[in-house]
Amino acid sequence: MILAVLFANSEGNILVERFNGVPAEERLHWRSFLVKLGADNLKGVKNEELLVASHKSVYIVYTVLGDVSVYIVGKDEYDELALAEVIFVITSAVKDVCGKPPTERLFLDKYGKICLTLDEIIWKGYLENTEKDRIRRLVRLKPPTEF
Amino acid sequence: MAQPLVKKDDDRDDEADYSPFLGIEKGAVLQEARVFNDPQLDPRRCSQVITKLLYLLNQGESFTKVEATEVFFAVTKLFQSRDIGLRRMVYMMIKELSPSADEVIIVTSSLMKDMTSKTDMYRANAIRVLCRITDGTLLTQIERYLKQAIVDKNPVVASAALVSGIHLLQTNPEIVKRWSNEVQEAVQSRAALVQFHALALLHQIRQNDRLAVNKLVTSLTRGSVRSPLAQCLLIRYTSQVIRESANNTQTGDRPFYDFLEGCLRHKAEMVIFEAARAITELNGVTSRELTPAITVLQLFLSSSKPVLRFAAVRTLNKVAMTHPMAVTNCNIDMESLISDQNRSIATLAITTLLKTGNESSVDRLMKQITNFMSDIADEFKIVVVEAIRSLCLKFPLKHRSLMNFLSNILREEGGFEYKKAIVDSIVILIRDIPEAKESGLLHLCEFIEDCEFTYLSTQILHFLGIEGPKTSDPSKYIRYIYNRVHLENATVRAGAVSTLAKFGAMVDSLKPRIFVLLRRCVFDNDDEVRDRATLYLNTLGGDGAVVETGEDVKDFLFGSLDIPLVNLENSLKNYEASEEPFDINSVPREVKTQPLAEKKAPGKKPTGLGAPPPGPPSTVDAYEKLLSSIPEFANFGKLFKSSAPVELTEAETEYAVNVVKHIFDGHVVFQYNCTNTIPEQLLENVIVVVDASEAEEFAEVASKPLRSLPYDSPGQTFVAFEKPEGVPAVGKFSNMLRFIVKEVDPSTGEAEDDGVEDEYQLEDLEVVAADYMLKVGVSNFRNAWESMGADFERVDEYGLGPRDSLAEAVNAVINLLGMQPCEGTEVVPNNSRSHTCLLSGVYIGNVKVLVRLQFGLDGPKDVAMKLAVRSEDEVVSDAIHEIVASG
Repeated sequence: MILAVLFANSEGNILVERFNGVPAEERLHWRSFLVKLGADNLKGVKNEELLVASHKSVYIVYTVLGDVSVYIVGKDEYDELALAEVIFVITSAVKDVCGKPPTERLFLDKYGKICLTLDEIIWKGYLENTEKDRIRRLVRLKPPTEF
Repeated sequence: MAQPLVKKDDDRDDEADYSPFLGIEKGAVLQEARVFNDPQLDPRRCSQVITKLLYLLNQGESFTKVEATEVFFAVTKLFQSRDIGLRRMVYMMIKELSPSADEVIIVTSSLMKDMTSKTDMYRANAIRVLCRITDGTLLTQIERYLKQAIVDKNPVVASAALVSGIHLLQTNPEIVKRWSNEVQEAVQSRAALVQFHALALLHQIRQNDRLAVNKLVTSLTRGSVRSPLAQCLLIRYTSQVIRESANNTQTGDRPFYDFLEGCLRHKAEMVIFEAARAITELNGVTSRELTPAITVLQLFLSSSKPVLRFAAVRTLNKVAMTHPMAVTNCNIDMESLISDQNRSIATLAITTLLKTGNESSVDRLMKQITNFMSDIADEFKIVVVEAIRSLCLKFPLKHRSLMNFLSNILREEGGFEYKKAIVDSIVILIRDIPEAKESGLLHLCEFIEDCEFTYLSTQILHFLGIEGPKTSDPSKYIRYIYNRVHLENATVRAGAVSTLAKFGAMVDSLKPRIFVLLRRCVFDNDDEVRDRATLYLNTLGGDGAVVETGEDVKDFLFGSLDIPLVNLENSLKNYEASEEPFDINSVPREVKTQPLAEKKAPGKKPTGLGAPPPGPPSTVDAYEKLLSSIPEFANFGKLFKSSAPVELTEAETEYAVNVVKHIFDGHVVFQYNCTNTIPEQLLENVIVVVDASEAEEFAEVASKPLRSLPYDSPGQTFVAFEKPEGVPAVGKFSNMLRFIVKEVDPSTGEAEDDGVEDEYQLEDLEVVAADYMLKVGVSNFRNAWESMGADFERVDEYGLGPRDSLAEAVNAVINLLGMQPCEGTEVVPNNSRSHTCLLSGVYIGNVKVLVRLQFGLDGPKDVAMKLAVRSEDEVVSDAIHEIVASG
């Protein structure tokens, strides 16, 4: 299960947070844990360079994309490698929507599209779509090209 | 020209600072949502409002029930618009709002219409939304469409239905299970993702049917799976099948190993890694099987991708716990990871190296770690400290450099947990490596000179009091201890006073000086410190002269409080101040049986200082104290062994009774631990009547009834037997619990005056040969075997008859003898046809015994065994053979 997808700006303010199967009372804990993790480790990291951590039986893969940082939390079958795949899908789809690694402003300008994109990638904690071209078409309700 | 350019930049900066959601406010957005009700819909404006609503929800904002309902109804109006972008937004918004069952009805018809639409993408999205908000009754109505969708030509539609199926399986399993045929068809799909989703769903549908999973794996491992993700799933399911079938195959190659090995050459890293990990996790994996997996993991160690490095080092770390030799090839690559930017990777690399390193590499490794320690977080440091502790126990000769390392990091900054881990480690090393004692104690002394944690200071002072006086020059510790009296808070000061007293008691030559110091403590401003000083000045005796301290005083200072603290606390609370002083002997010593049983649980590692033991220090000591406090048993001599509790009643019966067998040289005492589980009853004069007619060599000599057994408060009754001295007599005993039962009024808790005599049959109990054997291990069996010599060696061969497996036969013999398996030889690798097991123990009369068992499969199931015994006494060697021959 992909437990959480979280986008934050460079100051650690949340832009998007989506939890799956995480009780409401634990979300705040996760949010602050992830933001702290980013603050401790993401300084000077190159765009899309993946960082990884594990906390109890849960894995976390995170990175920087332009001005925003992206965190994915998973457990069981979504281990560090599966999450690396998920975060790759997410970052490439977000770049596709924004045309480049986004500034915070650009990210917010494209907020609706990004939400739709995430909706196509993750379906209640499971990875659903993986190709950015296909995702771009699905967001516009167009069938995939290979079909 | 420059002017406008600068201006333009300025403009852009302004823009970048400004968020489109600046000052967004829920109430205003909800107002804006009224545009959804406009007769002339503006799709662009509506999309913007939905985006704002999404932004609010994604920030953790929540809508009240009324607000959510209002928004939901407004959003449903948007189905009228034909704008595609807006429709996509609407689908998502409905999912986000997750409307309640009574509201869903509003959108069902629109969604059903979309689900049967000619536009594929409407179908896919409608399926996802419907499945998210639907309940069982609606699901049966749309089931037909979902089954069609699973095999839809359009992969997006098929995936939508399959992923929905995975979710619906949790809530409506019986419906989803009916889709098996369609899902099976989808597994063969040419679209990679459809195959992935179908495989996941099919496995979940069939996961409880082992045969079906086996068939699924067999067919897919032969065919081709397109998506790497699906291939990873397949590898996991294959491992599961291997695990479950492992017990059934005695010989031959492991099924599916070739498939896993083949996956190591897959083009996707994800698949390679999954296969490598699956191989390393196989039960009883051999080094031949491991090698190819370790090779690919080694390559990943130098990958440019941190995730791959992390995954590889994490897996190798696990392998190092069971097969350290297999990982040594990767040591060089792992050493370069110590400087990895990612601290998780570096820590894993270090702890792996500490497990696989050899004695000669320790110093080099420590140098590298020293540089690394300064820039990692405490939680990582604790992992490293624990690894270093195990390394030091493994290579005791290296204690100097390892102890130095620990003392260095002890001086650096760090939180409580980290410091505690270091102190615990030093304490364990001092206990286990005698040569490390003096330097370790000095390191601890230096640490308390500047320790901010009261808990650690007091624990170290306590430890110093026990170990310090036994060193060659106890006087050098006094300064450190007395400094505490000047510089610390009252808790630490009181601890220091006790420690000083212990030095005074143990080292007669120091006594006069200790007295001087203790006298100064009498003026302390804290009651406890003053009281302790006065107490010790009065108990140590001799008034400061160089005299020997009495044994009873040493007992008082060093002996543990043999009363459970809980009992003492309860008794003190119940004590009412009166002329009669509080009598510590009135405190019940009976300990609850449950914690004792837990303490017996294997695998508990020593945990360093810890808190001073809250109750009895160890099970054996506790039993010894308990028994010696009963006058009838006082002259039985030294307790040789106490068995683990044996249950004499089924779980959840009216009275729960278990028994502990205490073996003395010429006696056996049965300790019956009884618990009354009926609140309305009070039992009195509880005794177990033992019939020893099937235990001829035993004669009952004493019994101690339990006066009263109230509800849920365990108590003990004892029966003692005499037996021929030093002889391992065996026999069977039948037991009957006899008592007087009194009714208790549950409202007042008062028992009636009159009771009725009653009996309760318990299970039989046996004293067996293993009861006369203490499990005492040796660290190096070969050395022990050689030094024991062959003087009293006895060798013979036995046929054990048909057995389920070799492992079962090995276990049976270990249990029969009751000895300690050495060097992990109790574990029989899967599929092996022969095995050697090494055992060690101490036989009654304190005779050391070593046993070498060689097992072989003779025919398909028959097990043959060669038993070689060496001991310090030929009678004992023969006795061991007799036990096996008659067992």
